[in-house]
Amino acid sequence: MKFKSQQFGYWFFASAMLLLVLQVLYGFIMGFAHMGYDNLHEWIPFNTARAVHTNLLVVWLLLGFMGSAYYIIPEEADREIYWPKLVMPQLISFLLVGVVAVGGYHVNWWEGRKFLEIPRPLDWLVVANVLLFLANVGMTIWNGKRFTTTSIVLYLGLLFAALLYLPGMIAFDNQTLDSFYRWWVVHLWVEGVWELIMGGMLCFLLIKLTGIDREVLEKWLYIIVGLTFLSGILGTGHHYYYIGTPSYWLWIGGVFSALEPVAFLGMAIYAIAVARKGERKHPNRIALQWTVGSAIVAFVGAGFLGLAHTLPQVNLWTHGTLVTAMHGHMAFWGAYAMINFAIIAYALPQMTGRKLWDQPSAMLAFWCSNIGMICMTGAFAVAGITQVNLERRMGLDFLRVQEELHVHFFGLILAACLFALGIGFFILNFIRHGTPNTEAIGMDVDGSISDEGEFATS
Amino acid sequence: MLSKRQARAFFLGGTFVFSAAFVGLTIDTHRHVPKQTNAHLITPEVVAGKKIWEDNNCMGCHTLFGEGAYYAPELTKTVERRGKAWLRIFLKDPEKMYPGRRKMVNYHFTDEEIEHVIAFFEWAGQVDLNGFPADPPLRDALAATSGVEYPEPLPLPVPAILETAACTGCHRVAGQGGDAGALIGAPPLDGVHLRKTRDELIQWISDPQAIKPGTAMPDLVPSVISDAQVIEIVDYLYSPAN
Ligand code: HEC
Ligand code: HEC
Ligand code: HEM
Ligand code: HEM
Ligand SMILES: [Fe+2]
Repeated sequence: MKFKSQQFGYWFFASAMLLLVLQVLYGFIMGFAHMGYDNLHEWIPFNTARAVHTNLLVVWLLLGFMGSAYYIIPEEADREIYWPKLVMPQLISFLLVGVVAVGGYHVNWWEGRKFLEIPRPLDWLVVANVLLFLANVGMTIWNGKRFTTTSIVLYLGLLFAALLYLPGMIAFDNQTLDSFYRWWVVHLWVEGVWELIMGGMLCFLLIKLTGIDREVLEKWLYIIVGLTFLSGILGTGHHYYYIGTPSYWLWIGGVFSALEPVAFLGMAIYAIAVARKGERKHPNRIALQWTVGSAIVAFVGAGFLGLAHTLPQVNLWTHGTLVTAMHGHMAFWGAYAMINFAIIAYALPQMTGRKLWDQPSAMLAFWCSNIGMICMTGAFAVAGITQVNLERRMGLDFLRVQEELHVHFFGLILAACLFALGIGFFILNFIRHGTPNTEAIGMDVDGSISDEGEFATS
Repeated sequence: MLSKRQARAFFLGGTFVFSAAFVGLTIDTHRHVPKQTNAHLITPEVVAGKKIWEDNNCMGCHTLFGEGAYYAPELTKTVERRGKAWLRIFLKDPEKMYPGRRKMVNYHFTDEEIEHVIAFFEWAGQVDLNGFPADPPLRDALAATSGVEYPEPLPLPVPAILETAACTGCHRVAGQGGDAGALIGAPPLDGVHLRKTRDELIQWISDPQAIKPGTAMPDLVPSVISDAQVIEIVDYLYSPAN
């Protein structure tokens, strides 16, 4: 790690871990409710648990992205953060907004649109906060010594994510139009601009961990994010099949969203090929494992499982069932949770100077969480397909079918325990690294490769 | 092989072209939506109902137009499925209609608020959703193989009390209603006189929970119907026997 201000990333990552723990806790509440044990209903009804679960997810992922930007951008721009004094206030105010929002969900204060439950006044605070973040990072790039594709792609992703939040704030009396613009946020985030962020982070990690020529990697980065937008923008149509919008969306959405997996496949092939070709091995193998793992699991969860229900002929039956939850879990995990874990696994030793990458807990974290998530996806899949067949195709009553699904939610909870164990190991490892210290500044902790593939000394 | 410049041009060009196409389609969608969603039927009551829907995050348990959570029933067709009378009683006290089942929050709505919520659902049920939710394709096949014989339907007209007391929200009577209730075990009421005596019917309807604790049939006397109305209903149910 070269610059002092890169260490700010640590506090973002640490906050993200805390929110992740809470997210998983609320996940368990919902899992039990689905199984028939809604004992907390009086205090935390299902809709509260759900809003907390998904909002904490989005907030901790965003914290991870911000932390990554504060870590990556100085290194790419070859200078300190432009306004270092503003970083911690930005983090703290962001967290405060989050705490107020989550508290509000427990007292029925929200906006009631899935994923965008934050009440309007808090929306504005989020916007102001993110503008501050973007200004700080943007000034760092602008005044930097180097202008790299990796930092531009990462920054464009963050900037567009902020801009696309705005259409979600327009209010309509017509439910159909409300829904139409809700997807400008939800879909165009995860299947558009967040992929730029992921691509930028992936590229940075591959450069650092394999020593492969930056020019080659960045060229492919452009192609991959190009494919993302080519398919993903009109692919939004796969949410416009059945909400009261014109029927031409059926074929536009069908065709273009069916192309979306290509970008994820490209990302997976790119990561695997680069990891195998990399001549100089960075000793932090676990960071590379998370990096490549992220690209692969994203392809399976988003690409393959997305494709499974994206054609209108299939979606007519699966729309709004647990099949969607199956896909949502693995896609978010692979694409966005794992890439954050990758950067944390890489950056923590750099920020603290401690090399804990060979610890068994680091390995266990990877395998428990991933196997756990694969099994959770399986449980959701069995529950979802059963629901589709019994309720949507045979016409059985909703609640009656849900009772048949209790057993699959028992399976979900077992799998979730394994998953949570993996998260526990990861956090244990995180804590063992201690906090950033000044000795780590100015040296590359692995002592083997520097940015351009040359050996550095440490 | 592509150079980095060409790769960048591909990214920027593609993004521009497809964003422009998306904006164009958005404008066209705005042109069609008012007709497809019957925007002229969005009355102030519908808007008020939508606000209740949002302020309470009903979408955190339910889906509407297939969007939301997977914990509670899809509501696009709820008015068609249940009828307004059933919904009025249900929204006053959700647990009454489903004792001992998965819980909904009791919002203690006023009568006016309930009308607004129902107006919103009624509007939503009429939006042209390109065929969603589809009729279950296997339902008829199942009915054909189950070998159930249907009794003679009860005579028309069905007394209004059966609708206002929500019976038809669960039971099929004289060929009407009952789709939602059939599969939670609410039998069609046609032919019930063959299974139960008059007195049994009166006792059952007056206090089902006492006779069979935990049954999915709610206690409706005296909160919804009076003893005299029970007799009126039983007279009707027994009319084929006379
Ligand atoms: C905590 C979860 C939860 C919330 C929040 C919730 N519901 Fe429900 N709702 C349910 C469940 C579960 C059922 C199934 C019946 C039952 O068990 O009460 C249901 C049933 C219904 C039904 C009957 C559906 C049918 O066709 O059989 C309607 C109508 C309804 N809810 C409307 C609403 C409205 C309006 C709101 C918001 C003001 C709301 N619900 C909020 C859980 C919820
Ligand atoms: C929430 C749904 C619901 C409503 C509303 C409802 N019922 Fe029922 N009813 C049921 C169910 C479920 C059963 C089967 C109960 C059992 O066997 O546990 C049932 C059983 C019955 C039976 C016995 C049928 C038989 O073949 O044994 C009669 C009679 C009956 N209901 C009449 C009525 C009348 C009259 C009303 C209106 C005042 C009414 N029900 C309202 C759900 C409902
Ligand atoms: C990392 C990328 C992705 C993530 C994080 C993700 C996540 C999600 C989530 C959370 C939902 C539920 C949204 C809601 O109902 O509000 C959803 C829905 C959906 N996703 Fe994805 N997704 C990703 C990529 C994809 C891809 C590439 C495809 C198609 C090939 C796809 C197809 C779908 C479809 C068709 C639905 C609608 C399901 C329904 O009708 O209920 N997704 N996705
Ligand atoms: C212990 C682990 C977890 C459990 C038991 C769990 C359980 C659940 C349940 C029951 C739902 C609600 C489905 C419904 O509406 O009925 C849900 C929603 C969701 N969870 Fe989890 N979850 C867990 C962890 C995670 C993780 C780690 C992620 C992300 C990486 C995640 C992402 C989501 C998303 C995106 C949704 C919304 C899905 C949709 O709308 O389609 N969950 N979860
Ligand atoms: Fe999508």
